[in-house]
Parts: sequence; structure tokens; C-alpha cells
Amino acid sequence: MSLARLILVLAIAYVVSGFSRTVSALPQTARTTNDAVFTAEQAKRGEVLYQFICATCHGPALTGIEAAPPLAGTTFGASWSGAVVADLFERIRVSMPQDKPGSLGRQQAADVVAYILSFNKAPAGRAELPGDAEVLKAITIVSPQ
Amino acid sequence: MRRLFASFFICGAACAALTGSLSGQTAGRTVEWRTYGGDLASTRYSPLDQITPANFNTLEVAWRFKTDPLGPRPEFNFQSTPLMVGGVLFTTAGSRRAVVALDATTGEMRWMHSENEGARGDAAPRRLSGRGLAYWSDGRDARILYVTPGYRLIALDARTGALVAGFGQNGVVDLKLDDDQDIDLVNSDIGLHAAPVVAKDVIIVGAAHLVSGVPKSKTNVKGYVRGFDVRTGKRKWIFHTIPQPGEFGNDTWEGDSWAYTGNAGVWAQMSVDEDLGLVYLPVELPTGDAYGGHRPGAGLFGESLVAVDLQTGKRKWHYQLVHHGMWDMDIPCAPILVDITVNGRAIKAVAQPTKQGFVYVFDRVTGEPVWPIVERPAPRGDVPGEWYSPTQPMPTKPPAFDRQGVTLDDLIDFTPELKAEAVKMTARYKLGPLFTPPVVSNWEGPLATLVLQNFNGGVNWPGGSVDPETKLLYVYSFTQVWALSVVPSDGKRSDERYISGAARDPNAAAPGAGGAGGGGGGEGGPPGLTVQGLPLIKPPYGRITAIDLNKGDIAWQVAHGETPDNIRNNPALKGLTIPRTGQPLGRIGTLPTKTLLIAGDPGFTTRPTGQRGAMLRAYDKATGAEVGAVAMPAPQTGSPMTYMIGGKQYLVVAVSGGASSGELLAFKLPS
Repeated sequence: MSLARLILVLAIAYVVSGFSRTVSALPQTARTTNDAVFTAEQAKRGEVLYQFICATCHGPALTGIEAAPPLAGTTFGASWSGAVVADLFERIRVSMPQDKPGSLGRQQAADVVAYILSFNKAPAGRAELPGDAEVLKAITIVSPQ
Repeated sequence: MRRLFASFFICGAACAALTGSLSGQTAGRTVEWRTYGGDLASTRYSPLDQITPANFNTLEVAWRFKTDPLGPRPEFNFQSTPLMVGGVLFTTAGSRRAVVALDATTGEMRWMHSENEGARGDAAPRRLSGRGLAYWSDGRDARILYVTPGYRLIALDARTGALVAGFGQNGVVDLKLDDDQDIDLVNSDIGLHAAPVVAKDVIIVGAAHLVSGVPKSKTNVKGYVRGFDVRTGKRKWIFHTIPQPGEFGNDTWEGDSWAYTGNAGVWAQMSVDEDLGLVYLPVELPTGDAYGGHRPGAGLFGESLVAVDLQTGKRKWHYQLVHHGMWDMDIPCAPILVDITVNGRAIKAVAQPTKQGFVYVFDRVTGEPVWPIVERPAPRGDVPGEWYSPTQPMPTKPPAFDRQGVTLDDLIDFTPELKAEAVKMTARYKLGPLFTPPVVSNWEGPLATLVLQNFNGGVNWPGGSVDPETKLLYVYSFTQVWALSVVPSDGKRSDERYISGAARDPNAAAPGAGGAGGGGGGEGGPPGLTVQGLPLIKPPYGRITAIDLNKGDIAWQVAHGETPDNIRNNPALKGLTIPRTGQPLGRIGTLPTKTLLIAGDPGFTTRPTGQRGAMLRAYDKATGAEVGAVAMPAPQTGSPMTYMIGGKQYLVVAVSGGASSGELLAFKLPS
């Protein structure tokens, strides 16, 4: 399945299934990735995208390969701990994947972020992570508790 | 950001007192930085002495140059070391690898050149802005030379940025042609992100490929090295890093594997001794980073340091640092040329830092090791079809500058509980010394061989630096365990029998089929190598080492880089006092000047003020004591350089990372 086809299929699936996504509300104060900022279902969608699009460079287990940095473990934590989720979201949305930057939609980028956070043991909750950088600026990436 | 940079301009009475003494001996003086490595010896050394331990903390930003508009999108991994010649700073930059010329005192752009390579650029194995460029002048013409992502060598007029009409085809040499092999002009796996080197009117160009853990095929493009005439662009010579029949070393490839095996490029910087007329080539490993079953034999010149004639490309000597590699050690950085004295004997030496933590030191005239390098029996693995070298070369001096291999003594021991958890985790892995080979990954164990170092640690492309006066070599390395294993190939992703990978939990669902998303290894892969969010091993996680090349000993070693937030704030360490750990990431180049050793932090941390950024640090060259630090908005990603114009010393470094796109920061002392 091509990348474009995969993205199309996922997009249609969202619409056809009437998938009910509860998007996080407007910016809230002092939220962190330990505050259940995505859903398990969203992380699963992000996993599919990740394994199809990102794993070639970053590895199927998010370990990173050479120039593509790890997206899990202490190196990921050292790079991103203290940043806001919007930073990670925008970095992915603007510059990834390297062979086709900018090809992920906002929601798909948010789904991939949800998967990365999930892989790094951030807890899932009932509200989805929205594809809105302004909202994501209010969520800080922290080590899991 | 505004608040962050306000701190740069804070200058109290102390710096006001210092400025009065700045202009004495250096008024009007200009000191350039004319090549990527500071000189053709790749010392990265500058004799400048205006910025000192006493005034480093007063550095202020002279100018900033943001690279976002130079390509269709921002770049977040800006690795260039600029050049400064005649008051003009030259650099590659931006997501399309443009070349810009800037006023070196203000950062104002004088000209820009960009090549839109279309599909060829989109298919390039090594994209983005690259690591730099080369300058050449005969006193009349002055040229800038660089290699595009699509693997074309470009010559520009250094004064105007215009293509040089008499060079190649209107200023362009297509590097996919005239390479002694057939290469697809658009989709082939060859490119380069290093800067070309120019010496004695010869341009030397290497090659880079895609990461080869899961190569599409055992058959790939070969990474030959070529020399070109700087005036015409005409090829002068080629060196076959995988020797052809009849050439020296071809018999180290069994079963004619030389014919189809590729890679073995020189993607690191090269160094040149113009007096000896020799170019020093650090060659990477051939196709297959973790499996060499399709390329039986020692495989010259894979992972070899090769000295070739500057004018003809003929091999003068070589030394293979890893026989038949399967650890992706490559040779990742520039050989450093330095004249040393060992036991009273003057030696023209070449010192080669490596991922595996050794600095290999040779007489660069003859290729003889300065200190014995002993062939020691190497552990043999059991991956089907793999070829194992019975021995591997082990330097007796200098000592390794970073840890090698993994034992239980290396594991985290901040508390007995953490140590116990780490020991339990490693039970499913194979441990062993340097050169312990990969295993076929098995979920029940062994999952992988735990290794220190390979591409996930040690030193990489920034390499080292040296003070030619004291003969101290400086190198940054980071220490991180990597799980090295292979799995059988299903033939879809690669025609190799085994590829890099790890066993999945047989009870876990396939990705996207309801498999757990959370937790390390949640998609069925191996568990992450962390213990309660901490690295599996003891700190330091990042360090700078100084090696006395006259003695072959380590002079000092310090942790480099602030302790990361996720380690400093980890609940398991509450109540403990943890010295600075350094950071388990980064490619950091060091800059020795007459007065200081300078290097930036590789990652973001949060300062006590709450601001997130990175520090540019200065060390005492003789002791490693930190003597100063200034704030940067993002980590160092390009190796720093320095120059002087009008008696004022500037310090320039490329920064980027996280959500911070690439920019150059230029520092100077207050006026």
C-alpha cells in the first residue's frame, strides 16, 4: 500500500465510521504528558502510521538508526523532556518523513505523536491529542511517573 | 527567546575592564578559517587568543543567521562548519543545501546559490544542508566547491556565487558519471554530505549511501573516491575502495563478492599532507551493517585508513581497523595529522578517532603503528552464513577513550534496586567485550548482543581536534548501549539472508491489529534499554577526553553536557546527589584555540531560570576544568569555528534541534 493510499484509507475510516473523537479543550494550564493527553485508540492509529512511514529510519522499536535519532528511551527523554508537545508535533509535521516532508496531515502527525508518547509509557486517557499546535503548546513533555 | 538572548547582552563591570586590553597585539589583524577542519590536517585548531577563560562568560551575540528561507522548508539538523576567507563567511545551509556568503562581521548575506534537483534531489540518500564546503584560490580566481544532495560537484565564483563556466558542464560535474560503474542518475544510492577537500589544485570527493542495516540488496553502488582538477573539473584519478580484479586487496573478497557488494564509501572528512603529497581516506564498511554473510573475507578496504597519492590516487599504505565488520563501526571522521615526539623520536603521525573508542595512531609516512596494534583472537558468532575474522586489531596505546563492550560492572548502580533491575534486564541479552558479534534475535533469549560503542554512541562525524603545540588530542563521545541483532529476511525488504532487527513477542499482536501501544517494546519489539527511565549503564553518558599523543595516555576526561532533565528529575534518584552526567546523545565537535577548548552541549536542558536551551562551554585545555559557559537557544549541531577580523575574534557555531530550526550564532566579546 502506498503512503498516499494508506493516508487516504485512514482518513476515510475516520469519516465513515463516524469515529467520535473528543478533542482536548482549549489550552489548559500546567498539563503534562502524564495527564492522559491522548487515547489508546489514537496511539494505535499512530502506530500503524509510524510502522509504515517512520520505522524505516527510526527503527521498528523507535531505537533510531544512525542519523535518525531514537524516539524512545533516555535519548528521547534527554532531547524532548521539558519541551512542549507542540514542538514535537510541529517538528514531525514540518520535516518528516525525510523523504516526503510535510506529507502528514495535522491529525496524522498528532496520532504519531500519541504513539511516540505511548511507547514512552505516557498514560492514555479519554481525550485525543488534537492536531492543533496552539493547544499542544500547553502540554509539557515529561518523564513518565 | 527574547528573554533568553537578553542574557547574552548582560555585561557588567568585569567585562568593561577586560575590553581595554583586547586590541593591543591584535588590532586590525585578520585570521581566517579556510577549510572545514581548520586546516588540511583537520586539527580544528586556531591560534587565536582573544577569547580567554577570563572573558568567555561575557561573550555576546554578534549576529545570527536563520536558514529557514534557504529551502522549501526549515531544517532541524544543521551540521555545517562555515569557512571564513577575506572577511566573508561561506556555508552550506537550508533544506536544499544552498550556499551562502555572509559578511563575517555582521551576518549580512552577500549572495546565495541554490540548486533545485527535483526528483534526483528527492531520491538522494543524504539530504539537507550537509557539513560544509571547500574554498580554493590561485590568487586570481577564487572558487567555492560543494557537493549537492543529488551528488553533483558544483564550482562557484567565490566573489559572486555564479557558476564557473569553465568547470565541468557550466560549473557542474555530475558525480554519478565517470565513476567506473553504472549508476542510475536519479534513484541510485549514492551521495555525500561531507565537504569536498581541495589541495594542490586537486578536489577530492568521497561518497555516502543509505544506512545499511536493512539494505535493499547485497548489490549496491560502490563508494569510490575521486580526484578532480580544480580548474576544469576533469577527473584526475579514482581509488577503488572495493578493489577490482588485479588490484591489491581483491583477494580479500571471497566468491567474487567484490563484484556486487557496494558501499565502502568515504563519507567522513578526509585529510591531506601537501608536503608528503598524501590524502588520508577513512573508509566505511561495505554493504550490510550487521550481516556480512554475502561478503565473505576480510574485505579490503572496508573500515581501513588508506593513504593515497594526492596527484594519482595510487595507494601508498593502508591499515584495516576492523576485519569484516558487522558492528557498523565505519571510520566516521577525519584523520588528524600531527607531528609528535615519542620516546625522543619525532614522528609525522596520523591519529584516527573511531566509534569503537580507540584512537589509532600511525606514522603517516609509512603507515606503521606508533604503538603496537596487536591482532587478538576475536569472539566467533553463530549467525548462519556469516564469515568471522579469527582476529581483530587492538591498539595497545592510547587507552580507549570510552567504554567498550558491556559487562555487569557497567550497569547502572545509583541504588541497589536499580542495579538489580538492570542485571535482571540484561539476562536476556548476550554480553561481551568489544567485537562480540551480533546474534540471531530470539524472543526467549538472546534477544541481542549489547554493545558499546557503535553508531549509537562513541565518536561520529565531528571527530576530534588537536592542539599542535601541546599534542593533546580532544574528542567528544557519548556512551549508550545498543542492542545488536539480526533476523532472517523475508525477502521483501532485502535480498540479504539476514537483516538488522529484533525478535517480536510471539504473543503480541501485529502493529495496528490491536497491539499494545504503550511501553517500551509495545509493538512487539524488544524492551527498551532503560531502568525506570534511566540509562541501563552508569554515567558519564557524554564526555570529552584529552589524549596526550606524545605519551599515548589519557591526560584528562570530563563529563560534557548538562545532566538531562529526565535524569535530573527522575523519581528514582530523589535524594541522591548525582554529579553532572553528560548527555547520551549528540555529535559534538571540539574547538581548541590558543587559550581554550570550546564545545557546546548536544541536547536541550532547562536552566534554573526555566529557560530551555543549551550551553556553549569553555574548558581549560590542560585540565578539563570548565572555565566558562554562555547560553544558546538550541544545541550545537555543527562543529564550532573561529576567526578574527579587524582585531576582533568571532566564534561561530551552527545550532538546531527539537523544534529549533537551523541557524548560525556568531559570538564576540563586547566592544
